Amino acid sequence: MSKKIKIAIYSGDIPSTTFIERLIKGLANKGVQIYLFGFIKSKMGYEKNVSIFGYRNTKISKVWHLLKFSVLLFLFKNKDKSKLDKMLKDKSNKPLIARVKYYPVLYYSPDVFHLQWAKGIDEWLWVKEFGIKLVLSLRGAHINYSPLADKRLTNIYKTNFPKVDAFHAVSKAISLEAQKYDAPKEKINVVYSGISLDTFINKYEKQNNVFRIVSIGRPHWKKGYNYALNAIKILKDKNIEFKYVIVGGKKNIELAYQIKDLGLEENITLLNQLAFKDVVNQMQSSDLLLLPSVEEGIANVVLEAMALKTLVVTTDCGGMNEVITNNYNGFLVPIRDPEAIAKTIEYVITLANDDKENIVKNALETINKNHNEQLMVDNMMNIYTKLFS
Amino acid sequence: MKEKKSHINAIGIALSYVPKYSETFFKNKISGLQKSNYRVILFVDYKCLNDYNHKCEVVYAPKRYQNTIKTILSGFSTLVKAFLFNPKKAISLYYLDKQDGISFANRIKNIILNQFYFTKKIDWLHFGFGMNAIKRENVASAIGAKMAVSFRGSDLYITPLKHNNCYDLLFTKAIKYHVLSEEMKQTLIGYQVDKKYIQVITPAINIDFFKSSSAFKPDENLRLTTVARLHWKKGLEYTLEALSILKQQGIDFKFTIIGEGEERERLIFAAHQLGVINNVAFKGQLNHDEVKAHLQHTDIYLQYSIQEGFCNAVLEAQAMGLLCIVSNAEGLPENVINNQTGWVINKRNPMALAKKIMDVYHLPLVEKEAIRKNAIQRVNQKFNLEKQNREFVEFYK
Repeated sequence: MSKKIKIAIYSGDIPSTTFIERLIKGLANKGVQIYLFGFIKSKMGYEKNVSIFGYRNTKISKVWHLLKFSVLLFLFKNKDKSKLDKMLKDKSNKPLIARVKYYPVLYYSPDVFHLQWAKGIDEWLWVKEFGIKLVLSLRGAHINYSPLADKRLTNIYKTNFPKVDAFHAVSKAISLEAQKYDAPKEKINVVYSGISLDTFINKYEKQNNVFRIVSIGRPHWKKGYNYALNAIKILKDKNIEFKYVIVGGKKNIELAYQIKDLGLEENITLLNQLAFKDVVNQMQSSDLLLLPSVEEGIANVVLEAMALKTLVVTTDCGGMNEVITNNYNGFLVPIRDPEAIAKTIEYVITLANDDKENIVKNALETINKNHNEQLMVDNMMNIYTKLFS
Repeated sequence: MKEKKSHINAIGIALSYVPKYSETFFKNKISGLQKSNYRVILFVDYKCLNDYNHKCEVVYAPKRYQNTIKTILSGFSTLVKAFLFNPKKAISLYYLDKQDGISFANRIKNIILNQFYFTKKIDWLHFGFGMNAIKRENVASAIGAKMAVSFRGSDLYITPLKHNNCYDLLFTKAIKYHVLSEEMKQTLIGYQVDKKYIQVITPAINIDFFKSSSAFKPDENLRLTTVARLHWKKGLEYTLEALSILKQQGIDFKFTIIGEGEERERLIFAAHQLGVINNVAFKGQLNHDEVKAHLQHTDIYLQYSIQEGFCNAVLEAQAMGLLCIVSNAEGLPENVINNQTGWVINKRNPMALAKKIMDVYHLPLVEKEAIRKNAIQRVNQKFNLEKQNREFVEFYK
């Protein structure tokens, strides 16, 4: 493309999740013109080439937003507006809300509309009618389990996936999963999540009297914390000394009940969700990060722990085995297997310092090689530019 | 608003909602008490469309508003009503709360919250669940009634995890407690409640409806059923893990889950991931007749719960002569007597469950028959509605 490419990164929320924000920042640093549409949750300081066309969650803001873009479209792109209105009339059951969302996108017509969540695919296919290329990210739950329990969603995927211009898959595993819903293989590009290593400079030596294990993430069932607690019980019964912290696990009744039931109050601390820098501190000061999940795309906390030279034990779910090679740069255990988690933690505790050093060194190398932010941004740019070659 | 004292004893039952038709426990309790010449009055916090008619008086709490101004106005008018029509009761509640060290603001709030209890003359105020009695610890005293509280499972084992120390004040009161099992009685004693105030009245079922059927014909496949809400408490994820072990051993089976709930996605995903999705049917919620029809075609009934007060579904399954395997969660070992009326195994242990299912499946027919017979007999004797009604009448004497 001769002119500068304009890309809309759309998740619905501004700002979005950490990893989507990382992508936005990375692309902006490359000089790409980024458009953000959607609902503004809080003010963000972005680079100059990131333009925000969002609205706040108030009636006044939405009405103003709608009026402004109705007038602009009427004056400058009336033909397109009529075409979209006609499409909406045929399809949408909430045409006003749809217009609030769609009009600014139509008005600014980016070259690429990159939709971050697959569940929204049905709402955004219209952009193709206006020459906008549609890219869809394949992430976690939206692909791995939501369609299993929701036949309507399965049908939406099967109807619409073949029409998408290109897919970004967060792992090879999820790429295979998406193909079950008729995503054409040749249109899927695996781009691993990347992290900026400058943010993860390891400042401290770990100096814990008692072996410290940490898990990070909201207490959703897919995180498999119930299996972790069963593993902790096995370790406790073996009189192994350790401390286990779940960041984000506080106030979850399922966990609280299990901890009380198994008598693990002394060994486990549940913390509230923490700010990013505190999460980093937690990871850095722990001897081991445990990811007991039953489902993941590729868990970013694992990448972050590896960058911070904290040992990782993870279940072999989703794309985790594309990052971790057992006993080389971390440890893989089968899903839903407390015995295996306990056995592996016990093994890690008794590991000689040299061996631990080797593993965290290999882990850091893996991050440098496959999961650095620059690589992610370059690969993502490749997806976009390929659409115009 | 004052009423003449009636010679009939009046029992107020305090609940959040009017019990639905399907809530057999309350339906039966209310009609049982009425048959024994008690006057029953329901005090409920929230009114719903199509509340079931239990043929008893119902007193609703004033409507609660989201809007702050409406809340203040409604609160003020309730407060005026309390002091205008029932000044003695209102003042009494105020001073009783004061003695308990409750702040001035909360004393006023408690009068507003509880004003609707002042409007009836009752002999007993019985809170249907533990959490219904929170912030109402002095209401019965204030209105000159005796107080009783029922604990039914999650209100004893889960609510205190959500709200730390929520029963501290309640447990200092010399009131009567009804619990469903000996295990729950022990838990209350652990909270320093005097055992002489605690009475165990186990749940009961309609044994005329849930009868064993001779129509049952064993099929080639193993047919397993659980009736449970799709909730983590019910241990269904562990059940599915056990079944995946059976499948790996080449056992063909059909597992039916009857019930709806928030964890449907979790369980469907688990069934997929564990490779048993084609052996599992999620039936959703069914009515009594449909549940019964389904149980008639079941070999082994599973209730592998993590937390369970007592569980009527297991009683129903036993009454129908099903072979029941249950976990040792709280009240279940009293519901099923291990090796006599069924089997009790440790919770959260899929391997143990898988092994037990296989053992039971391969049990000689005579032994299966003996267990079925014991189960039917014990449920008929100990868990029938008449017995429960008698015990409740005794409870209020």
